Amino acid sequence: MEAVKNAFDFGDMPRSELGLAAAALAFLLWFPAMPHSSFGMATMIQFLMFSLYGMGWNLIGGYGGQVDLGKAQYVGIGAYTTAVMMIRWDVPFWFSMPVGMALAVGWSFIIGYPLFRLKGHYFAIATIATSLVLKDLFEVWDFVGGARGLEIPMKGDMPNWLYLQFREDYYYYYILLGMFLIGLIYMNGFRHSRLGYQLRAIKDNEHVARSLGIDVHWSKIKAYAVATAYVAMVGSFHACYNFNIEPEDTMSLDLSVLIAMMAMLGGAGSMWGPIIGAAILVPMKNYLGSWLGGQAGFAGMDLAMYGLIIMVIAAAQPRGVYGIVEAVRARRR
Amino acid sequence: MEELGIQILKSAVSGLIMGLVFALVALGLTVIFGVMDIVNFAHGEFLMVGMYTTLLTSPLLGVDPVLTLPLAGLVGAVLGVMCYFGLIRFLLRGPMIAQLFGTFGLMIFLRNLALLFMGSEPRIVHEGWLVGKSILVGPGVVLESTKVAAAALSLISFAVVWWFINRTRVGKAITATSLDAEGARYMGISTEYMNALAWAVGGASVGVAGGLLVNFWPVEPGVGLLFTMIAFATVALGGFGSVRGALVAGILIGFIVNLPPVWDAILRSIDAAGLRGLEIHSFKYTMVYAVYFLIMVLRPQGLFGWKQ
Repeated sequence: MEAVKNAFDFGDMPRSELGLAAAALAFLLWFPAMPHSSFGMATMIQFLMFSLYGMGWNLIGGYGGQVDLGKAQYVGIGAYTTAVMMIRWDVPFWFSMPVGMALAVGWSFIIGYPLFRLKGHYFAIATIATSLVLKDLFEVWDFVGGARGLEIPMKGDMPNWLYLQFREDYYYYYILLGMFLIGLIYMNGFRHSRLGYQLRAIKDNEHVARSLGIDVHWSKIKAYAVATAYVAMVGSFHACYNFNIEPEDTMSLDLSVLIAMMAMLGGAGSMWGPIIGAAILVPMKNYLGSWLGGQAGFAGMDLAMYGLIIMVIAAAQPRGVYGIVEAVRARRR
Repeated sequence: MEELGIQILKSAVSGLIMGLVFALVALGLTVIFGVMDIVNFAHGEFLMVGMYTTLLTSPLLGVDPVLTLPLAGLVGAVLGVMCYFGLIRFLLRGPMIAQLFGTFGLMIFLRNLALLFMGSEPRIVHEGWLVGKSILVGPGVVLESTKVAAAALSLISFAVVWWFINRTRVGKAITATSLDAEGARYMGISTEYMNALAWAVGGASVGVAGGLLVNFWPVEPGVGLLFTMIAFATVALGGFGSVRGALVAGILIGFIVNLPPVWDAILRSIDAAGLRGLEIHSFKYTMVYAVYFLIMVLRPQGLFGWKQ
């Protein structure tokens, strides 16, 4: 019961933050009823997806300080599990999603055990390596469609709640919003949990954490598994939402980097960081991309600006937007 | 059986030569890492800039691609110094995570700048003294002269860098900085200058590597990632910060990349029906990633490493 109480306990947050969060939540709930373009809707769904990815990354990368650049492999595992089970054995989404999460978590234990013997950039580059190995394997594995990927066929009439097939996007939106809220509440509980405190101790100083009796290696692996569950869950959703998955768009390094970047831009190691990061970068990426890349004919310009912003943030304020907020707040006091 | 023998010879020769090229690509990374403990994710993008430099300046100046190598090296060095003073210097003040993302941002920036100005189609040098010529080594084993020249120049570059680091006063100052930056500062060495110099040397060597590579490897904006990963694997295997290690490890990686064709030839010579599906020619570079992972886990200091 303690854990559940913790999860709903937002008491340690400043009033102003809670007020803003409530306003944002009201906006998110109300959004489909407001006039919007289908592009706007797609952007909002992507924003929710990347917020969840970012939350997962933030668990291990933010609270734990272990920079993971291989999150995309778990997106891929989640997405492929759902797609394969749906195509071959007609398994509904609500059953294949937990299976995908379990498979991803299992894989995270297998590679997490050796991975967490490494530290700092050695760890970061090794996560890239595992992710790329898995992607290369999926690209030649016929069972999952090779490099061409998989296409999910229509399953009967729409709206189809079992297989998550809808004609209107707002169904997807509300399902994802539900996942988002569950993820947020779990995250809040995690902050106050034993593992959450252990992770922050490890981030501050591993030697001290070990001397306090924390099993550093095992704590990292556990947190990594939780982070993986978040990412795999959204991966499963991604498969149903897109109807079409391939290794390039579910497992590429670009996706891993994007996930880490959003959490980092918003503020790694803070509750709202990944959400702020996704709220800034997803619309920017989509609208800049379609405007500069599509209409003005400057392909690459949007991502170049993106890289520039990342460089400036990393050099000027490594703790991201939320770090700026905290700095301002500290000065006022 | 004869096919197998030819394949082994082919793989050995090609492994040695490509290995030398990989070693040259990794050289810059290991110099920079040795001096300041920073991993440059944009390393492959430096290579790409070197490749485009040779590709574009050779027809512009009307000279052979080989003669533009000093220019490619110069561009690489200038780029390295610019990055150091414009970005890396600020990143060093922040936590490790900021260093990772800073160079990652640089990678995305350079890659997409190339996309913006150069377009996405792969391009290669079509004319030159070396292009299209080849040397017959043995039965069925043909060597392109572009690759042989690249390997030879790689050896020369290694000799120059080794001489510079181990035999000159400035090189010794660089070594001192990498061993103990604070101690070096007490001895009156300007570590700031040494850091910039390491970026210049690193940028120059990878720029030259790019100029050589574009003679036989098409350049496109996304070409960097594969080489970044190969360079990481090479540096990890040789030991972070070790110049000698980069050379040995580069050659080893070259052999590893050329193992799959040998394996496939063995399978074909046995010709067992059950083994038909076990061909691994499409896993050439997957092996590199796997090797990197194994080295990091089993022997993090590498073969010749002195940094952990």
